[in-house]
Amino acid sequence: MAADYACKAIDPSAPDGPKIDVIFPGELTLRYFKYSPVRYMHLITAKYVLEHTERIFFGVREFNDGGWCYTARPDEWHIRENVVAPFPKEMVFAVYLNPNLRVYEFRAERAAKDDAACPEDWQNRYRGMTWKSTS
Amino acid sequence: MEKHFLDEQMEGTPTFQSEPWYNRFGDCVIFQIADEAFVAERIDELLSVYHSVNDGRTIGFQIKGVLAIIKKFGLDGLSIKSETDANELKSISIAALLLAAYEEGPRTLGRRRAYASVMECPVDRRSIPTEELQLV
Repeated sequence: MAADYACKAIDPSAPDGPKIDVIFPGELTLRYFKYSPVRYMHLITAKYVLEHTERIFFGVREFNDGGWCYTARPDEWHIRENVVAPFPKEMVFAVYLNPNLRVYEFRAERAAKDDAACPEDWQNRYRGMTWKSTS
Repeated sequence: MEKHFLDEQMEGTPTFQSEPWYNRFGDCVIFQIADEAFVAERIDELLSVYHSVNDGRTIGFQIKGVLAIIKKFGLDGLSIKSETDANELKSISIAALLLAAYEEGPRTLGRRRAYASVMECPVDRRSIPTEELQLV
């Protein structure tokens, strides 16, 4: 069993405060390592997003309380095993956290036309944006 | 690209596996038929479809809120029993989960097409044992 991995990220409840530990569950990362090599490499992209966050959204699920979505636009990512390519300009990479701050999903999504750092339709699918970068 | 931050704790040879599995950290079922980068299209509150970034074809999906679906429709309405042992634990049918998720939203052409596209994905494992459904 792989160990959990803690990554320092902005505290979604107190963005101006000290950074907190967001956890990549060992059970999840091991599964991706063993059975989904490209998604295993996308864990690097997910870690980049947590460390270089551009937007944070809250209220990501209707049927599960809480949860967060962190987004950013990395420079590159794996498109196949051992093949790295520039990250598409029209996309944004989203990392989803459950209320216990465990990463459970990470993926590319189409970017919103009004804000390229947001997933499309962000105004309707999340309860709101809790933080945005100023740089 | 940088060395993977988890490589030191991983052992063995990775082999892509195409079968649906329950992600208990997100209460969702995830399925991919190809090991390549995808862009996720959020269809509705319960379904996201994965499209290959290489050619746009559907290569997987995510069914969200699985325990909520089970709570609403009941285990009996979504499960199948083993044909070999009547006392064996039940499994949740992936097709039944998708149909239940479809019933939760408006009957639009876009949703119907999206649900049809994921139901056409070739699935080797068509159900998930209920014992695997533990939310974290």
